[in-house]
Amino acid sequence: MKKLLEITHLKKSFGDTEVLKDISMEVNEGEVVAILGPSGSGKSTLLRCATLLETMDAGTLKLGGETACEDKDGVSVYVGKKELREIKNTYGLVFQNFNLFPHYTVMKNVTDAPVCVQKRDKNEVEKEAKELLKKVGLDGKEDSYPCQLSGGQQQRVAIARALAMNPEMLFFDEPTSALDPEITAGILKVLRQLADEKMTMIIVTHEIEFARKVADRVIFMDGGVIVEQGKPEDVIDNPSNERTKAFLQKMEK
Amino acid sequence: MAKNIRKAVLLLAMLSVIVGMFTACGNKKSDDGRTTFTVGFDAEFPPYGYKDDSGEYVGFDLDLAQEVCERNGWKLVKQPIDWDSKDMELNSGSIDCIWNGFTLNGREREYTWSKAYIDNSQVVIVKSGSGIKKLEDLKGKVVIVQADSSALAAFTGEDATEENLALAAQFKTLQQVSDYNSAFMNLESGSADAVCMDMGVAKYQLEQRGNKFTMLDETVSSEQYGIGFKLGNTALRDEVQTSLNDMLADGTFDKIADKWGLTDSVCLGEEGTDSAYLLDSTNVTKASFGERLVDIVKQLSSGMLATLAIFFLTLIFSMPLGLLVCEIRKSRIAVVRWIARIYISIMRGTPLMLQLLVVFFGPYYLFGMKVTATYRFYAVIIGFALNYAAYFAEIYRGGIESIPKGQYEAAEVLGYSKVQTFWKIIFPQMVKRVLPPVTNEVITLVKDTSLAFALAYTEMFTLAKQVAASTASIMPLFIAGLFYYIFNFLVAMVMEKLEKRMQYFN
Repeated sequence: MKKLLEITHLKKSFGDTEVLKDISMEVNEGEVVAILGPSGSGKSTLLRCATLLETMDAGTLKLGGETACEDKDGVSVYVGKKELREIKNTYGLVFQNFNLFPHYTVMKNVTDAPVCVQKRDKNEVEKEAKELLKKVGLDGKEDSYPCQLSGGQQQRVAIARALAMNPEMLFFDEPTSALDPEITAGILKVLRQLADEKMTMIIVTHEIEFARKVADRVIFMDGGVIVEQGKPEDVIDNPSNERTKAFLQKMEK
Repeated sequence: MAKNIRKAVLLLAMLSVIVGMFTACGNKKSDDGRTTFTVGFDAEFPPYGYKDDSGEYVGFDLDLAQEVCERNGWKLVKQPIDWDSKDMELNSGSIDCIWNGFTLNGREREYTWSKAYIDNSQVVIVKSGSGIKKLEDLKGKVVIVQADSSALAAFTGEDATEENLALAAQFKTLQQVSDYNSAFMNLESGSADAVCMDMGVAKYQLEQRGNKFTMLDETVSSEQYGIGFKLGNTALRDEVQTSLNDMLADGTFDKIADKWGLTDSVCLGEEGTDSAYLLDSTNVTKASFGERLVDIVKQLSSGMLATLAIFFLTLIFSMPLGLLVCEIRKSRIAVVRWIARIYISIMRGTPLMLQLLVVFFGPYYLFGMKVTATYRFYAVIIGFALNYAAYFAEIYRGGIESIPKGQYEAAEVLGYSKVQTFWKIIFPQMVKRVLPPVTNEVITLVKDTSLAFALAYTEMFTLAKQVAASTASIMPLFIAGLFYYIFNFLVAMVMEKLEKRMQYFN
């Protein structure tokens, strides 16, 4: 089975604070992985390192089988800009705050990057985009501007925008934490559908139920290290680690 | 109760101050009980009236005025005025007379005149070694005169001689400047070939400025100086004239003339000096209001075009330049960043008028490059564009920095290049955010265009001042004000439309 994400011995500090301490993880093609953990555990930083928004201090990173950075004497050395741009083409990222482009219509948000970055045919992309929008339940919203949409709708546009790039895998950074609980269900539905289509997904979240319902595997992080990982029913229902237990108990209250 | 008394006392005190002020004014203005005599003069017109090294206003005319005041028991008030505004000063009563090497020829019917007391001729000054020896050598040259000066009247005025009109027609341009210092700067830097001015002033200037300049032997026209009073104010004129006659009789007048080296020019008491004095200056026919309005607007139209040219060219150059400066200001290289910071700091920290002067005269005074007359307009545009670019750069920077980091990250993950990210994602959002402060700047620019007068570039306001001076009316200024207001009203309207058009996103 193809490994779409491989991280080994990742270390990352901000100033004197070591945020990630020796993280190693892999994600296989078709797998849905949820990264759980309390705030400050380093899960968002891990995601930002994996999506090349932050540079790693030490360790190696492979995305879609291509090396993004190698470890040379304890320092991460990245490949050239051109190669990195190629690698960025292989995955998508959905942000907590959606980060849609406010001056573009829904349609343009979804189609602009495939047309302008991937240089694909505009008509073809637009046809595809219409189907994607239908899939995330935004039929007929093509000409709306982001400010005319609800938070849940905006997040679904963001998902469609990421999907329009035809990525091999999708990263989600707290996709539901800016949304009301009842809207979360809609996003969850979209993610479940994607999972059924064997889309590889890595989801950072602190919502346990969300992780349980969508993930094949749960990674629990705390204090910059991976504390525990395994099937959701094992990690969430029968945690072996004390820190996992403490977190889960706190979240249930 | 106590409060009320205190209030009443306060009111009384205020009333008495106000009444006091009125009586003070009354004292000054009443003809029989005159206590002060206010002389209006151009403080840059040596040796007749100017500021000396110690900062005092001195000069031949001021000495004469002082003597007249002493003989009449008045207190002399020396009031420096803007030459273009002299008629408004006189008509409003803020000065009693214009006494400042004031040429009466051609203005006979506009003022109530004393007898002519100085005979002066217009002379031409050129740079030494320029090859200009005679008046006919001025053909195809750039000649400078002071705005509303007798030299200007000699070339363009209604009473200009055929000879002078023909001469002026041969000039490349006849440029107007607001003061003689700037005239000499133009001459020295090569942006003008000759300056035409009063003989007395020319002699003084040449003495001060050494042998860099030469005076042509031929003179342009002969003219006489008198003291100008408000049309119809013969009472005051007669009082002053009597004193002058006395001074001439007892030799005081000649003594003062000798002190200022003007003995040769004195003509008071000679034949032919009282033609303006004898004029019945009260029945002057004036054109109808409508005719005057049309005439003024006609005269101002070239200034309007000049102002529009400055405005649009400045925007066209400064807006993109501002973006460039803004990008340099955000450079990763510290040295480059600092260059932009220093640039912005200087442009915002010094007067625009000074910057214009540096742009125009800098090439000559700093690098010895000859400045041409056509450079004048370019200098105005360069100066304005450089200055406004600094302001726009800071406005843009504020706009760009207010855009959330997430926009950059989203663009990065989607694979946009840096250039694409800026132009497709950041720039359109920045434009919306900076529209209100940019509107402010644009409106300021409309009004700032009047600063082009510093380089003797005749835009709307300079022209309005000149026309106001030559027609002795405030109407041109009023029309200029209306022009600026309508212009700004349109600018504000356009910007508001733009803002509305960008309301589809936030």
